Amino acid sequence: MKKPLKIVVAGEGGQGVQAVAEILAEAAYDEGKEVLYIPAFGVEQRGGVSLAYLQVGDEPIPAPKFEKADIVVALSGRAVRRTRQYVGPETIFIYDTHADVQEEELPKEAKRLIPIPGIEVARKELHPRVFNILIMGALIKLTSIVGLEDAKRALEKRLGHRFEKDPSLRELNYRALEKGMALVS
Amino acid sequence: MEKPIEGEKKVFMTGNEVVAWAALAAGAEIMYGYPITPQNEIMHYWTRLAPKYGRMFLQTEDELSAGFTTIGGVMGGRRAFTATAGPGNVLMQEPMAMAEMMRLPVVVIIMQRGGPSTGTVIYSQQEVTLTTLGGNGEGFRIVYSTASNQELFDYVIKAFNTAWKYRFPTFVLGDGYQAKMREPLVIYDPEVRGISPVPAEPFLGKPGVPGVDRPPGHYRNTYNTEEELYEVIMGLARAYEAIIPEVVEFEEEAVEGAQLLVMSHGVVSRAAKSAVRALRRDGYPVGYFRPITLRPLPVEVMRRRAKEVRQILVAESAYGQFARLVKEALYGLQVEIVPLFRPGLGINPEDIYSRVQELIKGGEKGAGHIAATHA
Repeated sequence: MKKPLKIVVAGEGGQGVQAVAEILAEAAYDEGKEVLYIPAFGVEQRGGVSLAYLQVGDEPIPAPKFEKADIVVALSGRAVRRTRQYVGPETIFIYDTHADVQEEELPKEAKRLIPIPGIEVARKELHPRVFNILIMGALIKLTSIVGLEDAKRALEKRLGHRFEKDPSLRELNYRALEKGMALVS
Repeated sequence: MEKPIEGEKKVFMTGNEVVAWAALAAGAEIMYGYPITPQNEIMHYWTRLAPKYGRMFLQTEDELSAGFTTIGGVMGGRRAFTATAGPGNVLMQEPMAMAEMMRLPVVVIIMQRGGPSTGTVIYSQQEVTLTTLGGNGEGFRIVYSTASNQELFDYVIKAFNTAWKYRFPTFVLGDGYQAKMREPLVIYDPEVRGISPVPAEPFLGKPGVPGVDRPPGHYRNTYNTEEELYEVIMGLARAYEAIIPEVVEFEEEAVEGAQLLVMSHGVVSRAAKSAVRALRRDGYPVGYFRPITLRPLPVEVMRRRAKEVRQILVAESAYGQFARLVKEALYGLQVEIVPLFRPGLGINPEDIYSRVQELIKGGEKGAGHIAATHA
């Protein structure tokens, strides 16, 4: 089976998890890739872990969801616990060092565990609002599903109207992307 | 008024959004609906888009009412539709039985969620029995089961023409995954693909004096005697059976030389196709078959294919609803039917690949198999 790249992004509501997946999906779609993005949805109106499933490949994506992911990004303690089921021996597991998680809760079976201080860096060096863009930077660096320029174009498409009003926002988002890339290189 | 879609264009949309665009492109004039997850956004997009193109929307108090008002719209000569899911689909069966009795071209989009009862708001293929055979009738209806957002677009457009051409209630059966997922597809103005709308016309309020200038319209769902009802139902049955060869649709691949056939429908067939391709590459004699119309089923070709293989693996996100239809279609044939049932849960290519591998490698009989019937 020629397999698409399978990604799960999970975090608390408000961390911008769905936006990361959506922007990446848009960027990959604009590059002519086969893409399928679906959020987890349930009956909860608030308080749940937010999950996004994203698959990118060269052939049509065979199923909306999947058993094991190639990459899992977990941005909170609950997200770490909730995403364990998607981790297998081939999975790269990225988690935020700020996540409230016990050492033994981390999925040791993963191929690689990558802790990143995303929340802290965003807060101290950028702005908490661009935390998810920093995560997006980390993801594009790890996956190369799209290049930095493609990601910037996708950001422009989505946030261009805000960048127009305040050009410093553009610069802030770009820096977040680059910072995120640097965190995993 | 400008067309909703000029020519064709590539888009990246959720299934719900696709349905709204398809209904616009198909010339639907009014949607009646009541909110229920996972089909809510069909209504949301429709209500946002419809006014720009002079179309209408009515939110009703429940799905019973949504179904009956859709019937009202159709009887008034409008290309009308509704959309629902799960428990809403249960309520929808009462009006749909009436539409069957009166042969009304209503169009209904179903986005299956988990059941029974409230179940989940997410996904399943558990509304197959309900959508194909629901109501206190005989299932005189047409059901297309789609597998992708592209097919949602194609078959919603087709559903309006099928309904108005053959005058049977027509359903597009999707699911919560298709409803909520975004993937690339091409949307188009049906005219550029040579598809023209089958004209709608009113059932009621036609000009002239009934019985004098034109035959009277008898649109009844109530009959006084057993014999009277019998005549009507037999007439419906003959009309329905006559259109089957024109209506049935299916998709197949790698059936040549196959010893085992994977049968599935809807979104699961994507996984089935991917698994069959991989199995073929690895040397396994496996074929892929997928009915697109679940009602009527392409029985003739299914029986032909079933005779060519030893086993059929039926994969579905339900506990045997589709398999029941398959078994009825294959009645009397000597073929083993092996289940892969995951009610309310998605099925991935790996699930099918490994099950087929077990079956072929082990020469294994399907554990807990439900043999079709014997000759």
